[in-house]
Amino acid sequence: MQSGKSAAQTVATVKPLQIRGRTFTAIALHLTGRPDRTFFEALEARLNQTPLFFDNAPLVIDLEQAAGLDSAQELMHLTAELRRRKLSVFGIQSGTPAQARAAAEAGLISLPGGRDAALERVSRQGSRPVPAAPPAPKEPANLMINQPVRSGQTVFADRGDLIVVGSVSSGAEVIAAGNIHIYGRLRGRALAGVNGDTSARIFCHALDAELLAIAGLYRTSENLGADTPRQYVQVHLQGEVLRIESLK
Amino acid sequence: MSKVIVVTSGKGGVGKTTSSAAIGAGLAMRGHKTVVIDFDVGLRNLDMIMGCERRVVFDFINVIQGDAKLKQALIKDRRLENLHVLPTSQTRDKDALTTEGVKKVLDELREEFDYIVCDSPAGIERGAHLAMYYADEAVVVTNPEVSSVRDSDRVLGLLNSKTALAEKGDGSAVKAQLLLTRFDQNRSANGEMMSVEDVLEILAIPLLGIIPESTSVLKASNEGTPVSLDEKSPAGKAYMDAVGRLVGEQIEMRVNPGEQRRGFFQRLLGRTA
Repeated sequence: MQSGKSAAQTVATVKPLQIRGRTFTAIALHLTGRPDRTFFEALEARLNQTPLFFDNAPLVIDLEQAAGLDSAQELMHLTAELRRRKLSVFGIQSGTPAQARAAAEAGLISLPGGRDAALERVSRQGSRPVPAAPPAPKEPANLMINQPVRSGQTVFADRGDLIVVGSVSSGAEVIAAGNIHIYGRLRGRALAGVNGDTSARIFCHALDAELLAIAGLYRTSENLGADTPRQYVQVHLQGEVLRIESLK
Repeated sequence: MSKVIVVTSGKGGVGKTTSSAAIGAGLAMRGHKTVVIDFDVGLRNLDMIMGCERRVVFDFINVIQGDAKLKQALIKDRRLENLHVLPTSQTRDKDALTTEGVKKVLDELREEFDYIVCDSPAGIERGAHLAMYYADEAVVVTNPEVSSVRDSDRVLGLLNSKTALAEKGDGSAVKAQLLLTRFDQNRSANGEMMSVEDVLEILAIPLLGIIPESTSVLKASNEGTPVSLDEKSPAGKAYMDAVGRLVGEQIEMRVNPGEQRRGFFQRLLGRTA
């Protein structure tokens, strides 16, 4: 059984990591030739028009019209120069395969696509989110507790169902990403589907809970009502309503 | 093989010190060499309950800090050959207790005594934690009312996780048993107090004994006599039964041990009264 302390720590962090898709706004810098002195002068002039505006802005170098720029050294030099001007270069787009290899060598990522970047659409196109690695398939990790969960203890099944063979005391907390099964009396707090799983359920032999929650929707003992079934029950979500039903 | 037994409860005022004194005296009466240690640093009571408060020279904290030898601090009971008391300090606080210091004293006591009874302070902080940390067994003192039961439940959780045995991680655990004190059969039957079954259902540990609410307990405390020495009182008898069970004997559980079955007329009178 998880000790009170380690379980509490797990609860505090909830989950070691989460992977989410995210869209960022970035600016694209279209090169029309080699980054020579003229280019840098023009860049300085442009940046001076709106000082601070581009400070630390995420930036992609668009190489569509700069086919000749395919050496890593040149790209590195360009990157360094841009970064010195407080532009946060992180990748290239519309590059040839050779340019993509050079970019990788220069520590830049190569974004696919070559769509025209209209100025007013910069914020929508810009850099599309780096395609996130597909999340590793989650292995269900159910947690089985074979003794009573005592007052003050927290047990957390962060990747699956929680099964308690015994009672959950008043002042104890059982939490699961999935379902919660209690083969005993539930006197404490039970929170199922804590990562947002609205299909999670709570099952218990006898219900005397301080608090029931599924995917964040909760009811406390005070508003459970006198007609709530108390023996062999399941708790589930029906729309936005937490329902308590007898299993008999 | 000596045993360290912690008498604990979480909640205050439920009878830990009374029970420690009674169990210590009971074990000594049965011929086991026993020492009772007061872990309630700063709120020293055990010495008074055991009637040796005027003989305290050195204490537990002096021994932990190396200011006195264990032999100097141990007080031998005047009534029972096998009973010793290790009083605590009234002037210090719980911070004076150290894990290493407690271990050193307990290890030294283990060499000489059969039973080491640790009288835990209330609460779940340092004093209570160190009192239970090196225990082999626990006597959880509980009154038949909800707050006491919930606090005992909390303490049982700590016994399962925050003790040297539990931290070994090889499945060993402190053996915890329930001592239900201040129990009143009539009030329990009326529903004013929790029933024995209710308490056992929540705590789910073996029952060591039921100590009836009795005027003899307060009287014994005031006199500085462990209540188990009072063989006539129901509480004293109940403690002796509990001690018997603690050392492994099979003794039938009686709510009011020693209470004679009342005769027909007495029962009639009792009913009309």
